[in-house]
Order: sequence, then C-alpha cells, then structure tokens
Amino acid sequence: MTSPASSSSLLQMANCTIRFGGLTAVSELNLSIGQRELVGLIGPNGAGKTTVFNLITGVYQPTSGQINFEDKSTARLNPHQLTRRGIARTFQNIRLFASLSVFDNVRAATQLHRAHGIRDALWRGRSFHDSEKTVETEVMELLEVFQLGKHRDKLAVSLPYGDQRRLEIVRALATRPKLLLLDEPAAGMNPTEKVELMKLIQFIEEKYQISVLLVEHDMQVVMGICRRIIVLDYGVKIAEGNPEEVRKNPKVIEAYLGEEPV
Amino acid sequence: MIRHGSRRWLIAALVAAFAVSWFSTRFNQYYLGIAIDVGINIILAVSLNLINGHTGQFSLGHAGFMAVGGFTAAKLTLLYGESLYPFSLIVGGIMAALAGLLVGIPSLRCKGDYLAIVTLGFGEIIRVIFQNSQFFGAATGLTGIAKLTTFFWAWGIAAVTIYVIAGLVNSTYGRGFLCVHDDEVAASAMGINPLRYKVTAFVIGAFFAGIAGALYAHHKRVLQPDGFNFIKSIDIVVMVILGGMGRTAGVVVAAIILTLLPEVLRSFASYRMIIYSLLIIGLMMGRPQGLFVWPIFKKNAKN
Repeated sequence: MTSPASSSSLLQMANCTIRFGGLTAVSELNLSIGQRELVGLIGPNGAGKTTVFNLITGVYQPTSGQINFEDKSTARLNPHQLTRRGIARTFQNIRLFASLSVFDNVRAATQLHRAHGIRDALWRGRSFHDSEKTVETEVMELLEVFQLGKHRDKLAVSLPYGDQRRLEIVRALATRPKLLLLDEPAAGMNPTEKVELMKLIQFIEEKYQISVLLVEHDMQVVMGICRRIIVLDYGVKIAEGNPEEVRKNPKVIEAYLGEEPV
Repeated sequence: MIRHGSRRWLIAALVAAFAVSWFSTRFNQYYLGIAIDVGINIILAVSLNLINGHTGQFSLGHAGFMAVGGFTAAKLTLLYGESLYPFSLIVGGIMAALAGLLVGIPSLRCKGDYLAIVTLGFGEIIRVIFQNSQFFGAATGLTGIAKLTTFFWAWGIAAVTIYVIAGLVNSTYGRGFLCVHDDEVAASAMGINPLRYKVTAFVIGAFFAGIAGALYAHHKRVLQPDGFNFIKSIDIVVMVILGGMGRTAGVVVAAIILTLLPEVLRSFASYRMIIYSLLIIGLMMGRPQGLFVWPIFKKNAKN
C-alpha cells in the first residue's frame, strides 16, 4: 500500500531544491505521483508545501533537481504551458476572476482546448457560434455536476465561501487536467463543509479519473481520503506512507506537537 | 451586449453613417466638425478601453500612438495624393500597431504605476522624435493636409472599432483579457498566457488609435507634435475612467459628453476650463464606478 500501485508515474520530482537567497525552502525532495492517485502533502506552517506546488506548476524553477510530468521535463515551462500539458491547480487564498460571472470564470478556463481565436471572434461565422455553444454546454454540465448551475450569472465573488472554493475546483477541472493540485481546500471551512469537501474530492477522482495532490493543514481531511501521505518539515521530507504509518511516525508527531519531554 | 445580430448591427451603423454623410453639405459646418471630433474621440476612448479597462494595463501613451498614425497618414497623402486616403488610414494604423508592439514588450515586465510611467515616457519620446524630424516638419508639423475626413469615415470607423473591441471581448477568447485584468497568476494557472493577451491589447488598441490619428490629421488639416502631448493622453484616459473601465457603452457616452462639454461651455469664455474641470471632479465623486455602469450589462455579459 505504501508505494503507488501503478508503475507508470504521472509526476516525478527528483532531488528538487529551491533556495530564496539564504533560505532553503525545499531541500532534496523526491516525490512521485502515480496515475489516478490521491496523495496528501502535509506539514506545519512554513514547511514548504505551497512552494512545492509552485515548483510543480512552474511558478518557480527549482535551483537544482528535476521535475518530470508524463516522463517529460517541465524545466523552463511557464505556468500556462504546464496547464496545457495537464496540470491544474487551486490557490490557498481563493483567486477567482472577480469581475466575471460564475459561468465566465469556468468558460475562460475552457479556451485552451480550442482553436478559436481572434479571427473567429471578429468574423462571428457559424463555426464561432457552434464552438461557443459547445463551450456553453460543456461549462453548464460541469457547473451542474457541482451544483453551481443555478448561480451561473452571479458574480463569482458574490458566492458564499464554500461555493467559491468549489467553483475554483470546477474552474481547474475545466482545463481538463491529468493532475489536480489543491492548495488547502479546507482552509476556513467548518466541520460539515469539510466532510462535504472530502466527498467532493473523492468524487472528482472517481468521475474524472485523475490524480490529485492535496496540500492540507487539516489532518482529519487528509487522513480521511488520501491513501498515501507525504510529510514535509522545514522543506525536508520527514515521512511518507499510508495514513496509519504517518500517524504513528515519531518524527511527524514531533513536528506537529513538539518533542516529548523526557 | 453584442449578440448574434452584431454583424447586422455593424452594417446598419455603417449605412447610417454613410446616409448622414451624404447630406452633410446641408449641415452647419461647425456642428459637423464637432460631430467628426466626437467620432474620432469615440475611436480613441474605445480602443484605449481595451488596454486600460478590459486588460487592466494602465497606459498613458495613447496620444503617442495617435501621433504615429496621424503623421504617417498625413505624409502619405501629402506626398502621393489624396486618392491614397483610405490606404493611408490603414498604413497609419499599422505603423501605430508596430509602435504598440514596441511598448507592449516592456509592459511584460512592468505593472500598474510603473507601466503607466513607461508608456508616458514612450508617448513623450514619440512626440520629441516628430518635433525634431525635418521630414515631418519639425516643430511646425505638417500643414496643408487635404480635408478628407467626412462624417462617414469618422463614425463608420467608430462603429468598426466598437464592433471589433466589443466583439473580441464578448467571446470565450476575449474573456482572457478580463482574466488578465482580474488576476494574472490565476489566469496563467488556467492556461491563459497573460503576456500574449497584454501585447495583443496594446497592438489592437494602438492600431485604432493610429487610425484615429489619421482621421484627425485629415480633419484638422494641420498636425503639430505639441498637440500629442501627455495632456491629450490624459483626456482619453478620463473618458475611459468616466465611462467606467471596461464598459464599452459607457465609454462611448463619456467620449461624446466630454467632447461636447468644452463646446457647450464656450460661452463662459475664460472660465470654461475651470467649469469643465469642476464638472469632471463632481462626476468622479458622484459616480466613482463610472457614469454608466448598469448591473444589467454584467448579467448579460455572456455572448
């Protein structure tokens, strides 16, 4: 159970290090995510979890080390190019497009899969209208699956907090990712919302058959849904394994609760 | 706002502009001149709105793009004859678009206030280049340009500008401009290339500003580099802000009002600019979100 079931790994980070000036945010990290795997990445505040996300999505380039996605290097690729390759993410603090409606937030994310460009938008011929119709159907289907259809014309930022989180996930799914990175999706949620979120993440993994990497603070959520968990502390991987193993690992207990007085 | 019938709407606007133009000899020439001014300012404001409003890149260089288009087109018709007028409009637009490409590239690195300063500097550089270029008449500028801009050209092209920019933004492709405006980081995480959209906005905006400059040259018949200083850029920015950043309809109305206002106030003689400024301050305090922001536009902002 401890190693990924499938041999073909989707994402592989080998000896990745990133330094900001004198600070080593992530050090010699090895991480791999298999096809259709739900992996959790946990650690105390400032452990470097979000930095790992930013490395995977191309926001930062590693100082040293190698990242491969589907056996191809991601070095020197921009975030938008990596999204095209199949990596989508959400953000720790929600980053929806504030001036756009719920519908348009998702619609904007669908465009990377279409050939339609400036010329079609100006000529407005039949192919333009057909393609806009397809997008509309596609977006509405997604919104309906996640019970956001009734809000389609509302401003995205006017939704309740939990719905905004959900919409951000829907928007990421609209790019049709192979790997979905969720950055603290449970932040600021109450216990009921957390339970719903856990169901949602499992549902996504099953329905869309994708891999999910989940950064989380909340142990309940991670332990509840991830089959494999990686623990970071001060940029170093201190443990990896299934929830039971991680829970019992003395290093993890120490990182979270401090050392036991002798 | 623009839907399935948008192309029909454009054709209707062109026909209307042509019809008005047909009878233009019967109108009071003073009013006709102002009407053409209004058309040109609509082109300027709507095209700047793509850069400043929709894409959220604060540019203060629009007068510079206008100058490039104006001088290019005027020189063309002066050298090779009036029959080249329609061609000169397009060449003026293309030259301005190239200038837009040039400014678009530093815009990849700068944001907000810094970008505003870069574009401001760029506009001033263009003005100084024209001021010192003998070919373009140095400080005196170009004179004796043929009067070729009719009501049809000014308003017809204004209609085309509105069609192009509103049509662009109201498509799935064009939603990218708004995404870049809202959040560049999130936009790139959604597979949208912010750099590409920013440069596209600059190039298209500059293209229409160049055409507006060419129309202006053949309307006023005199071009002086001093007319394209940064005050001119600010005038256009005020139209965009007053109309509501990113609201095409609002910006059009603001362009009309702000062109007519100084004319209406002519009877106040020397107090004119004071009253004009006070009115703008009052409008900004009363409607900081823009004069014509109606929630209904937001709701229907889908196709």
